[in-house]
Amino acid sequence: MKGFATLLWLEYRRSRVWAAALLGSLAFWAWGLEQVTYAMPEEQLGIRAGFLCAAAITGLVALAFMIGRFRSETRQGQYQILLLTPPSGYFHILARFTFALTIGLAYAVAIAGLLWWATGRAGLHLTSLDTAQLLLVCPLYGVGIVMAPLLAWTLLLMVLSSAYRISGTAWIPGTVMVAATPFVLRFLGERLGDVLYRLPGWRLFTGLDAALARIGIERSSEATHAGIVLPQEPLWGMLALATVMLVLAGRIWQEVEA
Amino acid sequence: MLARLDRVTKRYGRTEGLRELSVEFPAGEVVGVLGLNGSGKTTLLKLLGGLLLPTAGHVTVFNGTPRGNRARSVYLGETDALYSWMTPAEAKRFMAGLYRDFRPERYEELLDAMEVPRRKTKTMSRGERGRLRLAMALAREARLYLLDEPLAGIDLLSREKILGSLVREWRPDATILLSTHEVAEAEGLFERVLLLRGGTLALDTRAETLRESGKSVVTAFREVLG
Repeated sequence: MKGFATLLWLEYRRSRVWAAALLGSLAFWAWGLEQVTYAMPEEQLGIRAGFLCAAAITGLVALAFMIGRFRSETRQGQYQILLLTPPSGYFHILARFTFALTIGLAYAVAIAGLLWWATGRAGLHLTSLDTAQLLLVCPLYGVGIVMAPLLAWTLLLMVLSSAYRISGTAWIPGTVMVAATPFVLRFLGERLGDVLYRLPGWRLFTGLDAALARIGIERSSEATHAGIVLPQEPLWGMLALATVMLVLAGRIWQEVEA
Repeated sequence: MLARLDRVTKRYGRTEGLRELSVEFPAGEVVGVLGLNGSGKTTLLKLLGGLLLPTAGHVTVFNGTPRGNRARSVYLGETDALYSWMTPAEAKRFMAGLYRDFRPERYEELLDAMEVPRRKTKTMSRGERGRLRLAMALAREARLYLLDEPLAGIDLLSREKILGSLVREWRPDATILLSTHEVAEAEGLFERVLLLRGGTLALDTRAETLRESGKSVVTAFREVLG
């Protein structure tokens, strides 16, 4: 446990500038949201939501870069020091993943907070329960289905590339993984689509319809129930995929030569 | 036996780093691992440290695999590889958190003895970083120390401090394998000398035997590898 805590500390020490910059960038996005004043309230909400989508994507890319900085470590030799330490590769991978995911979760909660602020500015006032779901459940769900697999994928790719460095063929697994990603995503999308809503979904934002109606927005007539129902299957599927990729990355770390 | 290589071959693509090398290391020796560039010194130490896996043959450390015994051996590589943001205090936290045999008090004593400044490594000279790395390594109470070129690129005074620390810190139950090109400076340390040539063992002898025959390690180095 002490070893894992030390690896987490090392991650913090290595990446704290990145993490601070990422969390600090939220001030820029908040400032950007504040500048949207020239349209109707519902249009403002749409523009601000788009703005926050851009913030979320930027954060994801920044986190992927943060977690995947193996190249400089390999070149400068710190990777060798890490390989010599007693904790197994699984712990090294898990520490990197845990730190990045924690920063990612904090970032996602902040984005949700900005969305809550933007909805308030548009006159859309959510109930306490809906607000809690927006600030806690939505970030957790988003982190689970997008951020966790993306970060695990990045770790696997970088460890794989580092493992094959000596033979000079790092580009082969790297290229195969990058090239195969769109096909894998399409395959996963189709499979998840087949099983969607087999398990009972999670109903969120049950007060949303009333809140929308108060500002003159009617939901689609096709909506058969109040609020939004989030399917469970993508979450479990993506978490399982992330776990498999983390285990693989840890296993490869064990075999790396330096 | 602390460590053993049994007919070990290590290939890097078409190049052979070591060729069918068999050698044993009992406890309580200071062994000079010497040879010209490319003779296989680093490969030998990395195999014992678990950083490389043999292409053929077996490497045994503490009756197990080198990787399984990482916590019990110390490998100090020739790469100047500390994080640039790291201070000696942070290095202590890193080592104390990961190695049970790390002795913080001893580390502080070593820092003082080797006059390592307490600032970030990026503002240290190469010699200061080398001394810091050695302090990190020697502050562990391991039984096998694999020191690959700890004197490389380091000024004379720093080299003297490092060699002085090696003499002071050596324990009778520990074995040190020291690879260096500074043969003349380090030869007083060696109890046993391995001379490698082209990945094979050219000479394995006691330093005392050389001295009794009126030879220094440097002379033997020149005779065998010259």
